[in-house]
Amino acid sequence: MLSLGVVLVAGMAQSQAREGRLLRLDPDARLAPDQRTAALAAGRRVFRAQCAGCHGPDGRGDTGYGAPNLADRDWLYGTGAVGEIEQTIAYGIRSHQPKGWNLADMPAFGAPRPSAKERLDPLSPGDIGDVIAFLSARRGATASAEAVARGRAIYQGRGGCYDCHGGDAAGDPAIGAPNLIDAVWLYGDGSPPSVFRSIAQGRRGVMPGFAGRLSAVQLRQVSLYVKSLSEAP
Amino acid sequence: MTATAPPAAGVAWLDIRTVHPRRALILMGAGAGLGLVLAGAALFTAKGTTTLVVPADAVAMVNQQPISRIDFDGQLRALAVDPAKATPAMRRQVLNDMIREELYVQRAKELDVGLVDPEVRSAMVKAVEAQAAADAITSKPDSAELRGFYDKHRDKYASEGVMVVRDLVFPPAAAAQARTALAAGAAPEVVATRFGGRDTGKTSGEEFYFAARIHLGEALFTAARALKTGEVSEAIADADGAHLLVMARNTPPAQYDFETARAQVATDYQAAAVARYQGAEDGFLRRRANVLVAKDLK
Ligand code: HEC
Ligand code: HEC
Repeated sequence: MLSLGVVLVAGMAQSQAREGRLLRLDPDARLAPDQRTAALAAGRRVFRAQCAGCHGPDGRGDTGYGAPNLADRDWLYGTGAVGEIEQTIAYGIRSHQPKGWNLADMPAFGAPRPSAKERLDPLSPGDIGDVIAFLSARRGATASAEAVARGRAIYQGRGGCYDCHGGDAAGDPAIGAPNLIDAVWLYGDGSPPSVFRSIAQGRRGVMPGFAGRLSAVQLRQVSLYVKSLSEAP
Repeated sequence: MTATAPPAAGVAWLDIRTVHPRRALILMGAGAGLGLVLAGAALFTAKGTTTLVVPADAVAMVNQQPISRIDFDGQLRALAVDPAKATPAMRRQVLNDMIREELYVQRAKELDVGLVDPEVRSAMVKAVEAQAAADAITSKPDSAELRGFYDKHRDKYASEGVMVVRDLVFPPAAAAQARTALAAGAAPEVVATRFGGRDTGKTSGEEFYFAARIHLGEALFTAARALKTGEVSEAIADADGAHLLVMARNTPPAQYDFETARAQVATDYQAAAVARYQGAEDGFLRRRANVLVAKDLK
């Protein structure tokens, strides 16, 4: 009995020491192979239980819901550092948590007042079509030269798109504005009608924060797991 | 009372039926020891106990308040592009700033500055509202709930209608003839010149319904909306003459199916849940509070 107790306490102490070592490391530090294997296995369990409902069991996301693919190398926020991923998971996105990401929403340009925060005028359906033509030309598709020119003017002018998505339309990971000229879509399939809906109706995806619901070590484990998804060959 | 002869030592230890004072003492001691070890372990790991240890998920304890490692990391990242490369001086600087902030926040609680500073008060109100809102969106709404929400608010999940319409105004006497010409397919410019009318210029090209409504005004928009592509409205009398609306293309709102609208439905559903939770928080605070209102304001 005594030995059972000692083993129990020793086991507790050892696993705590292990978790402590993981937490005290810089999030992006290289882990020893067995430490990494254990952390990823635990992270995967957390992911299955907490995240798969929105991001899918394999983390490949759900474009009908606006849950991003976590298994690619494309990040809405930051550059994919484990520390940044951990921050997002802990505090969420538009989660109403004070420390969550909440810097910009996609305005609804097909509504009388596109944005509650920004002063922007609505666009006409033709304007939106022109911007879509401009963006698809930037992706290398063919589009009418006049439409592209009009679209560029709107993108860089009264649409204010450049302000959030960047002058080159490659997105801004500081505010979570997606890249509009790559093949990765947060919403829908990237077809003109689906892009039209994003621009006309606006978007503001919500990701809950998990601080307080997951322990610090679980947060670290699931962050490492998410990072590992994008590193798989 | 008959005394039993002491049995052989080894057997006596294990034989539960015989009393063995030394065994009793040792087991009791072991039990107490184990209890102490467990209690000690709990003491040093439980939340809210005074400890001299900084837990692994914190970078410092300020009067037993942890400064979270994730937050430290976030602050560091705001300063250095790659926190792994942050210098020890940077780390110290960030940590010192965070400790200082915590000390001041704790002092503010002691002084109850929130009671007097309007900015702090409003920040506190916002923080409690945000807390209630965050509680509302901790998980994915299940698909049946989303579908129910979609069914209840179907009209929200439709494309905005689009029209290409021209608003021409004529002297009232010429309106009937102008209408006949337009309905026969004559170009609006030609008809306008021939019957002394003009394009009011209120609309231009493709417009969303909401924009056309603003540009045309309620009465003309209502008439325009009812026109099919290619139709011309009846003459509509107004202060400046008789208006004829020529509808080049009218695409009424089209319902989105649930799959197409799902992301939008989820956003709206969450917003509604947030409002509900905040309302509940309001009600809860009021119910448990004892609020007395002066007679003259009742
Ligand atoms: C309620 C659905 C939901 C759940 C549950 C959820 N997420 Fe998300 N997550 C989202 C949405 C939606 C976004 C995108 C938000 C936006 O529009 O910016 C997102 C974004 C993210 C991002 C940012 C990706 C990037 O490209 O920067 C990460 C990382 C992430 N989630 C990880 C997780 C992990 C790990 C869990 C489980 C602990 C989880 N999520 C649980 C819905 C969810
Ligand atoms: C105030 C900042 C802001 C402005 C201005 C803005 N956007 Fe966005 N846009 C965003 C954000 C943020 C998102 C991501 C929304 C989310 O995560 O739910 C987004 C999403 C999108 C998407 C969906 C991308 C995808 O991967 O599915 C498209 C398309 C888009 N924006 C196009 C535009 C165009 C075109 C304009 C100009 C007419 C514009 N945006 C102006 C912030 C902005």
